[in-house]
This record gives sequence, C-alpha cells and structure tokens, in this order.
Amino acid sequence: MSAEDIGIFTIEFPDPFTLSYYNDKFQTLDSNVSFQYPILDGIRTLSTSGVSNGDDPYGIMFVPTLTSSDCIEAEKDFVPANATRRQNLPDVDYSLIAVAPWFSPTCQQEYFAAARGLPVKGFFTYLPSNNSETPPLISDPAWGLGDGGSWKSANRYPVYAIPGISGSIIMQQLNLYSGNITTVPNGRELVDIYAPSSYVRLWANVDTGSPSQLPSLWVFLLVVLALLCIIAGGSSCFLHVLQRRRRRDLRTRIINGQVDLEALGVKKLTVPQEYLDKMPVYNYTREATASEEKEAELLVPPQPLPQARLSLKPSQIPSEPGEPLVRRSSAPSPSAPAEHAHPAFSQPTCPICLDDFEPNITPIRELPCRHIFHPDCVDTFLLNNSSLCPMCKKSTLPDGYCPDIITNAMVRRERYIRRYRQRAQSGTPPEVNAFIGQIRRITSRGRRSSQSQIAATSLPAPASAVPAQSGGRRHGLMGGNILHAMAERRVFSAPVRPQPDIEMGNAAAPSSTIPEHQAATAVPATAEPPTLSPSTSPTCDPIPANSHTRREWARQRALELLRSRRPPEVVALEEAEARRERGWRRVLGKIFPSA
Amino acid sequence: MAAARKRILKEYTECSNDTPPGMKINFDEQNMTEWEILMDGPEQSVYSGGHFKLRLTFPNEYPFKPPVVSFKTKIYHPNISNDDKGSMCLGMLRPDAWKPPNKVISVLHLVRTLLIEPNVDDAIEASIAGEFKDNKKGFEKTAKEWVKQYAK
Repeated sequence: MSAEDIGIFTIEFPDPFTLSYYNDKFQTLDSNVSFQYPILDGIRTLSTSGVSNGDDPYGIMFVPTLTSSDCIEAEKDFVPANATRRQNLPDVDYSLIAVAPWFSPTCQQEYFAAARGLPVKGFFTYLPSNNSETPPLISDPAWGLGDGGSWKSANRYPVYAIPGISGSIIMQQLNLYSGNITTVPNGRELVDIYAPSSYVRLWANVDTGSPSQLPSLWVFLLVVLALLCIIAGGSSCFLHVLQRRRRRDLRTRIINGQVDLEALGVKKLTVPQEYLDKMPVYNYTREATASEEKEAELLVPPQPLPQARLSLKPSQIPSEPGEPLVRRSSAPSPSAPAEHAHPAFSQPTCPICLDDFEPNITPIRELPCRHIFHPDCVDTFLLNNSSLCPMCKKSTLPDGYCPDIITNAMVRRERYIRRYRQRAQSGTPPEVNAFIGQIRRITSRGRRSSQSQIAATSLPAPASAVPAQSGGRRHGLMGGNILHAMAERRVFSAPVRPQPDIEMGNAAAPSSTIPEHQAATAVPATAEPPTLSPSTSPTCDPIPANSHTRREWARQRALELLRSRRPPEVVALEEAEARRERGWRRVLGKIFPSA
Repeated sequence: MAAARKRILKEYTECSNDTPPGMKINFDEQNMTEWEILMDGPEQSVYSGGHFKLRLTFPNEYPFKPPVVSFKTKIYHPNISNDDKGSMCLGMLRPDAWKPPNKVISVLHLVRTLLIEPNVDDAIEASIAGEFKDNKKGFEKTAKEWVKQYAK
C-alpha cells in the first residue's frame, strides 16, 4: 500500500552468532546519541506489490550490491564506499529495506534483482539531486526501465521513491552505520551500554496508513450501521420494558379492582372451572312470595317512600332538600344476610331456556349476584363465553380476579378506552361535573354500609333518578371509575324510552303503561334488577333537559353507532389474527412492539 | 346448540300462539335460526297498507346474544338503516342491553311499536330523524311514497 510516511531510526541488536542464547531483541537508540530521520511527505509510491492491507513494511536498511562492473563504477558517484551492504549484516533472515539511487535503468534492474534474492520488505529509491520535491509520478518516463513497467510485478516488495535530498542524507548515514559498534557515531558511549559485538544499523518503518486499513467509506457505513443497530436495539428494549411495565400496571389495577376487563369490553373473560365449582348449586325452592310482593311494590314509581323502608341510617341519607329517593334494593346486602338463604327475587323460570323451575326438584346454580339458572344452561356459557351474569352483566368472578395472561392487545385496548373516556369526560358540560361531584359525595358516604343501594339525587328534572351504586364489588376505588363510566354514558347513550323489557318474574312490569314523562324518571326504579352495574346499563342515563342537548345526544349516539363497536370478540379475533401473522411480521412485532 | 334450538322452538310456539297483529311468521324447521316475517304496516302508522318482509336471525350464542332484525323491504324510518341490510339496532336489540330472558315476541312487539312511533333519539339514520322532528309532513310523505314504491 502507498506509504504515508517513513521513519528511520538507529537500532542496536546483538550478533546472533556470538551469543550462546537466542536473542533477537532490537533496541531503538535514543535520538540524542543516534540518527533519526522521519520522512513525512514527498514520498511517492511506485509499486505496492507484496504489501497487503494493514502491512507496514520495516527492516534493516542496506544498499543492494550491483553485479556489472559498469554499474559498480557508476554507483561510486552516488553511494559512499562504506554504505551498509548485505555483508555488513549478520547472515540471518532479518527483514531488510533496500535503499538505492536511481541513476540508470540497467543498474536499477541489477539493484532490483539483487534485492529479490533477499528477504527485502521494501525498496527505497531516489533520483539523485539536492532538492526535496516529491519525486515524479510513476507514469513519468524517469521511472522507465525499458520493460514496459513489468519490474513492478516482478518485484515481490513495494518500491517507494523519496526526495533526492532525503536519499543522499540516508546514504551518508548508511556510510556511517556500517562498521562495528565502536566506529559508529557516539560509538564510545554506546559501547559502554551494549556488547562490543552488537550491531548498530539504520532501521526503517513505512507507515502505510491507518492500521485497520478499511477504506473510509466502509468505516462510515459501518459506523452508521452500528448506530442504527444500537438505536433499534435500544428502542426495542425500551418498548419491551415499557410494555412489560404496562402489563404489570394493568394487572395491578385489575387486582385492585380499578379495572374490569370484561365490563370495559377489553377482554372476554371466562370463568375457570374451579371458580364455577364454588358457586352454589341447590334444589329450587319456592319461597319468594314475600319478595315478589315487595318487588311489585317497588315497581310502582315510588313517590316519597315511607321512612321505614329506608335501609340506611339517617346519617347516611343524603340531606338534599328535595325528595331523597334512597331505596332498598331487593338484592341481598351483606349487612342483612339472615333474610336471604335463597335468592331474594322471584325467579320461577330459567331465563336461558325459559323452562320453569320445579320446586325441590330442579337443581339450580346461583351466581354471586343471586340470579339463578339451570346449571346446564349457565355453566357452558360461563365456561366458554363470558364471566358476566347474563341477567345483570355483573361479573361472577371474585374481586380482583386477573386472567393468567395479560396480553399487549389487552393493554392497548384498555388504554384506548381509558383515554377515550377521559376525553369524553373532559367534554362533559359543567352541570354534569357538578352532578358527578354530588354522586361522589353520596357514594363515599354510603360506601361502607351498603352493598347496593339506589340513590337518587335531586337534580333538575328529568335527570332526577340516577342509580349510583356504591360499588359492592369494587368498593371506593372503583367508585370514581363508575362515575366516569356514567359520565361517558351520559354523553353517548340515548335517552331512556319505555321499552317492554321482559324481566324474570316481573309480572307487574308493564312499563309501557307508565306515562312517558314518568317512565323517564322511573325507569331505573322499575326495569332493572337492583344489582345492575351502571356501566353496562343503557337505561341509567339522565336525559338532557333541553332540546339542544338532546339533539347533540342524538348526534353523538349516531356517531357511536357508526363507529364500529369492537366488542371483546373483536379483540379475541385480533389476537388470533396476530398469532396467525406471517413469520417476518411476527418477528418484527416482537422486536418493535407497537406501544 | 341443542338448548338454543329447544328455546327457539319454544319461542316459536309462543309467537305463533300470540302473533302480534298483522304479522305472519314463516318458520322452517330445517333452518330454525332464520325466521322470515311478513308484516303489514300498522294501521295507525304511515306505513299502513305496506307489506314488509323481515328476517330474524338468531346468532349461535342465542339467547346470550340478541337476535338480528333486518328489514328486507326498504323502509323510510329513522331507526332502520337505509341500506340493503335494513338493520335495526336499538333498545333491547343492542348487544350490551340484551338479556337472555328477553323473548322474540317482545322483539316483534318492539318492531311494531317502532313503526307506529319512531324513536328519533336512538336513530340510526340521523337525517331521517331530523326530518321527522323538524318536518313531519315531509317525512310522512316520503315514507308513504316508499311504501307505495317498495312495500306493495
């Protein structure tokens, strides 16, 4: 390879033949007692044969010996008589660097030929002159040997041209450093340090560029590639860590009861067999006459209820001046378990197959929400389809139940819904926020004592009857979420209409007979079983008062309908699809999970 | 599935014993999950005189999922989508509002009630709902024209 610079030093090495032991330690002499000569520029590389990438030719300098007498005669003008020759070096295959003036093509051929027979690593030549200019290019006729340039490939060593003045200086020094140690410059001092038999000679190093020898373009590309790899790896790690954290976070919130995956439509949960087995199965008994009556009573739009019917202590009753409509739900509350050995509502028929239960014969399964079904009817549904009670859509799984695997799809879906709700909530009008605040106060007050209660607040009609469930399943923590959910439904659901909602055993539920204006306020009281979860009930919505908001509602509702609703099945489908994705996409997805 | 068939059969018996006025159910025992319903427009509605063909499709998950009601005959109505599906999705027919004890007979009643009194607040066709509210005469005219054009 082309020479960048050349360094010439004086070295000392022991005579390998006088030593009894092997020692080829070459020592560079200090510059103040020896010759050192760097050639930093003006070097012209004439041929690079024999040098591979990363090789820096080096060796002991000498002048090759000519053969023809004409040339020996002509050489005397350029080479001092005592210049270092091969015979001034020990007869060992040390690396050599040949130095010779270029004074005639014939003699140059002889120099090259002489060097070819020796372990020469490089050849320095120079056009004899006293100037320090860079020697001419290889294409210059000065370098012609009359063989069409074949000398370059014939030599197995590189040839470098140095400026004439440098060549002369080196030649002078080679003349000085050719004898034994005492004859070289500062020989007297050197002999004190080194053995008298040691050689002191000139040494040359050719620096052919950066050690890696990679072309700079490749280096650049490699650097870019490496950077890309680092960025890719880094972001991949980051995303994986982020997802991991989000999954853990979601799990924590599920366990804490802040998130209900199924109610949000994030994931369709099913009930594992072990949980199903914990739900009681017993024979149906008819004992519901009393509660039937009670329900029938409750179905009538309740204007001021007798104080005796209130299940709350007076201190817990909201003290709004209006008509506090705090009703007892017919569902059992943990505070009064004695009453409820069996389901409190009258359910004479299995809601799934519509067959009647036969007292003391039919086995029934009771869900935690106290709804009863034929085990055959409900078990497969719970095991395979959903963990929500088909009747009240309340989860049948215990508090904080968390599926074994939280997938990234679930995390994404949950985040999407949460953000969507936050946006929806921030868009709610102030009176709704005030309303939420009111509910929140009530909820926090009633939180401890009541499993389920329906509190109606005295808001401007007709939005007066809104059930606020104080979170039997998810106590306080979930309270806020329910309210958020309600706020969301407030925006996106239609106003309540009297619908013929066939309810189990609700013989007295011809809600269509209720005048419409009344039905609007009474629907939460009539149609739904009291354990209703507000987030899943479309009938819980307060109705906007004026026609403008109503129109806005209708619009939102239409938008909601147009937007493709993605029920849990869709998520499940997506997951299945993701599993089926082609290999490379899956790999890419693994590396760069979408956050 | 067997249980669902049993229930559908049971519901069919109930419906055929007490068919809502102006309705006729074509029931195919080979294909119980698709009912074809022929319905006359209720007398007191703008659709009176029309004959509408409906399809009631029971999903595999019935009764855990609501049946799907679709009008095969084009109809100008705020709650019925104005496309080739003619789908209807409101009230108890919404998947999140559906409950297993809801019965087909009440679905049929709901359909009939809606023809008599459209529910503009839960409309699927917002433009028709708007017309119904703001320009009832115009709505009635178009609805009647459609009845003549498609439902004779």
